[in-house]
Amino acid sequence: MSLSPEPVAVSVRNVRKTFRGGVTALHDISLDVARGEFFSLLGPSGCGKTTLLRMIGGFEEPSAGDILIEGRSVLGVPPYARPTNMIFQNLALFPHLNVFENVAFALRIKKQSAAVISQRVEQALALVRLEGYASRPVEKLSGGQRQRVALARALVNDPPVLLLDEPLGALDLQLRLQMQQELRQLQRAVGATFIFVTHDQGEAMSMSDRIAVMDHGEIVQVGTPENIYNDPATRFVAAFIGSTNLLEGRISALDANSVKVDCAGMTILAAPQAAVQLGQPVTVALRYERLELRADGQVTGLVTDRSFLGNMVRLAIRLPTGLALYADIPAADATQVGVGADVTFGWAPGSPRLLAG
Amino acid sequence: MAEPTTARSWTAWLLAAPAIAYLTAFTLIPVGLLLTVSFWKSGIYGTTPDFNFGNYVRALAVPLYRDQLIKTIRIALTTTAISFLISYPAALYISGLKGRLKSMLVVLLFLPFWTSFVVRTFLWLPILGRTGLINQSLIWLGLIDQPLEFLLYNEGAVLVGLVYVFTLFMTLPIYLSLDKIDPALHEAANDLGAPPLQAFWRVTLPLSRPGIVSGSIMVFLMSIGSYVTPQLLGGPSGNMYGNVIASQFLANNNWAFGGALSVILIVVVLVGLMITRRWIGTREIFLGGGA
Repeated sequence: MSLSPEPVAVSVRNVRKTFRGGVTALHDISLDVARGEFFSLLGPSGCGKTTLLRMIGGFEEPSAGDILIEGRSVLGVPPYARPTNMIFQNLALFPHLNVFENVAFALRIKKQSAAVISQRVEQALALVRLEGYASRPVEKLSGGQRQRVALARALVNDPPVLLLDEPLGALDLQLRLQMQQELRQLQRAVGATFIFVTHDQGEAMSMSDRIAVMDHGEIVQVGTPENIYNDPATRFVAAFIGSTNLLEGRISALDANSVKVDCAGMTILAAPQAAVQLGQPVTVALRYERLELRADGQVTGLVTDRSFLGNMVRLAIRLPTGLALYADIPAADATQVGVGADVTFGWAPGSPRLLAG
Repeated sequence: MAEPTTARSWTAWLLAAPAIAYLTAFTLIPVGLLLTVSFWKSGIYGTTPDFNFGNYVRALAVPLYRDQLIKTIRIALTTTAISFLISYPAALYISGLKGRLKSMLVVLLFLPFWTSFVVRTFLWLPILGRTGLINQSLIWLGLIDQPLEFLLYNEGAVLVGLVYVFTLFMTLPIYLSLDKIDPALHEAANDLGAPPLQAFWRVTLPLSRPGIVSGSIMVFLMSIGSYVTPQLLGGPSGNMYGNVIASQFLANNNWAFGGALSVILIVVVLVGLMITRRWIGTREIFLGGGA
C-alpha cells in the first residue's frame, strides 16, 4: 500500500443515481472515508447502501457527481482497473477452482511468477487462518471457511480499499459474532480501508469506526457508533438504532438551560436545541434502557407486559394518561415486578433527546 | 441411519420396473439379437447359425467399408464442431438476456422437438436443388447462368443438413449450463483484475464445460448414426455408415454382415464415450453437475 499524504481513501461527492425507468436510488450523496477507517453503510434494505458500494467498486456508474479513490476520480474506470476489491454478498467463490486457485486468481491475471503466487497465497491464507486448506475444493468448505477464502482472495492483492457487501448475512449468530471480531482484527492487521454494508445495527456498531446511516437514498447521519447511538439526528435514526420510546409532544416552556415538553400529559425535561420555539411540535426519544425503577421517579404506571431478555427484562408500562412506554430493566432489579404491578420509574437528566420531525 | 426396510426396497423395484422392462424389450433384446446374428452366416437361402468371425474380418479389412466408417466418424466430428461454433455464441447471447425476449428465444430452443426432423430435412431439397431457392436466386441476380450442381448430393449437403437438424441439441445444454452461472462470478473476476475477455476465459468457459460436453456427445451420437439425412441429401458420395448398414438389411438381405457393421458402430460410440468419461465424469455429462 502506498502512503501518500492524502488522508482520505474514498471521497464521494454529490453522487446521484437514477436507474432507467426513473427510480432514484441515491440523492446527492457526499461522504469522505479516511484511510484505514472501518466505515459502515447502515440502513434498511432498499436504502441505496449496496448501490453506493457498487459504485465505489465500479459496478455501477453514478448519474451525477464524482467518486475519488486515493484522490483520483474513478469515473469511467472499470472494476478491473480500480484499486478496490469487493467481498460479494454471496461471496462469489469460483466453484471450479480450489482454495489455492481462488486466492491466486488476481495474481494469475497479473501474470506473477509461480514462486510469487505460492508465497502470496500462503501469506493470505495464513492471514485468515486457513493454512492447510489450499487444495480443498471450495464447495466442501463450511460457511465460515468460505468467508475466509473470500477475504483471502480479496486481500491477496493488498487493496487500499476493501468493499464488503453484507458478507456475514448468511451465517448463523455464533459464527457471525466470531467473524465480526475477526474482520475487525484483520482490518487492523492489514491497515486497509474497509467499507462495510449492513442492515444490522448491532453489527455496524460493534465493528465500525464510523457509520453512515442511510434511508431512502440519503445519508441521514454520519458519526461514531457512540455518537449515533447517543445523539440520533432524526426520528428514523433513533428508531432504527437501538430500542427507543418515541414520544410526540409540544414545547410548553423554554429557557437557556432546558426545554419542557408536554407529551400527552407527561412533562419531560430535555436539553435545549438551537432552533426550537415555544409551542412547536417535537418528538422526544427515550431509550428503553434509560428508564429505571425508583421510588422517587417522575412517573407511575401499570405493567401490561413483561418479557425476559436474559440480562434485561423488558416491561411495557401504561401510564394513567394512556401513554405506553417500554423500559429495559436489569434482570436482577425486576424479579419482583410482574404483569399488573404498579411501578414508579424515572430517568437521569439528559436521557431524553429532542428530535426534529 | 436406518436400514431401508423390505417394503421400501420393494417400492423401489416397482417404481423401476417399467423402465427396466422398456430397456429390456427395446434395447437389450434387439442388441443381443444383433450381436448374435453378426457371428452367423447369410446366404441366398437366409441366415444360418454357423458361428464365424468372417463378417467382422470383411467389415474391417475391405477398404470400402473401413473408409466408410472413417468418413462417417469425420462427418460426425465436423458436425459436432460446427454445431459448437454456432451454439456457443447463441447460448451466451440468450443467457445474457432478460425478460420476454429471453423466454421467447428459450422456447425457440425447443423447436427441434416440435416437428419431425425428416420433414425438416426434406426442406433442404427445394433450397439446395437444381431448381431450388439458391440456384434460382443466383440466376435471377445474374451471378450464374447455369445452376450450381455442387449444392446437393454430396458430403457438404449432408453436413448442412446434420448441422441444421442437430445444432439446437447442442445449444440447449450449453444455454442451461451458462444460465446456471451466478453473474456475481463474472463481477468477482472483474473485481480481481480480469477484463471481460479474461473473465470469460477463466470463469464462464470452464463453468459451461458440462453443457459443452453433453451437447457435443448428443450431437456426435445422433450424427454418427444418421441415416435419413445422408439418404435424402447425400447422394452416392455423401452416404454414411447408417446407409451401408440399412442396405445390408434391406437390399442385400445380408443380416449377418449388417449385424457386424452395426456392432462395430456401437463399439466405436462406446469407446468414444469411455474416452470422454475418463476426461470428465459421466455424472457431469448426463446430469450437468459441476457448476
